[in-house]
Amino acid sequence: MDDVYREYILDHYREPRNHGKLDQPDVHAADTNPLCGDRVELDLRVKDGRVTEVAFQGRGCAISQASASMLTERIEGATLDELRALTPQDIFEMLGVPIGPARQRCALLALRVLHEGIGGSYTGRYTELDEEGAGD
Amino acid sequence: MIREVHRDFSTWNDLPWKFEAGTPAIIEAVGLGAAVEYLSVLGMEHVHAHEQALTRYALERLANVPDLTIYGPSAERRGGVVSFTLGEIHAHDLATLLDREGVAVRAGHHCAQPLMERYGLAATARASFYVYTTSAEIDALAEALERSRDVFAF
Repeated sequence: MDDVYREYILDHYREPRNHGKLDQPDVHAADTNPLCGDRVELDLRVKDGRVTEVAFQGRGCAISQASASMLTERIEGATLDELRALTPQDIFEMLGVPIGPARQRCALLALRVLHEGIGGSYTGRYTELDEEGAGD
Repeated sequence: MIREVHRDFSTWNDLPWKFEAGTPAIIEAVGLGAAVEYLSVLGMEHVHAHEQALTRYALERLANVPDLTIYGPSAERRGGVVSFTLGEIHAHDLATLLDREGVAVRAGHHCAQPLMERYGLAATARASFYVYTTSAEIDALAEALERSRDVFAF
């Protein structure tokens, strides 16, 4: 089924990987999606420019939380430069299912939080995606 | 609308012309007229009766959907809208699930964040009915909700 609620997405939602907080993390970032209240908090431990440990907490829809969970798996062991280079397209490929325009904000929340934390290219770009349902 | 424009100052026309620059909303006025005529032909009492009947039916029918919580008062005291949540499924997930069953609902805080706070909710999904909505479509909504429940399998 070519469908956003495939089993592995729901699995990450029900049992998020790397869930929790780090004690005295090197990087801490958090953000909330203003329209729907989805929230992701991310902690990183970094050694020699490489992520050695990662944890996240959050609440919200299945797509936002599964995307965060999957991203934490991808982050571990990566260099900060690799992570700064991640694009929305990388996230959509990681999720592996088509994400409609109404749900892209949900899918990209974790990437936004990561880039807010480490100074990447994908930060604070709500307005581009905000045309639909802006009053909601 | 201006009265005079110079390089370093302008003056404005008198009210109400000052606020009526440009082309008036002619298309919108004609559209409003057509909408009023459409409703007048149907008769507002029939519009109201249809909405009431559908809302009563929806509240009855949706009461049978397991884990569905409906918000708001009884049918006589509401318009043709029903807000709900289904178990722990986030309203945006629920809207996506219903969408792929061909049922369009709105999901979010419905420009009523203080009310959401009062209920302790992040968001609800909301179905709304109008003159062209049928009771068969409410059945379709209820069935789609039951199938959505299976996807998250709680």
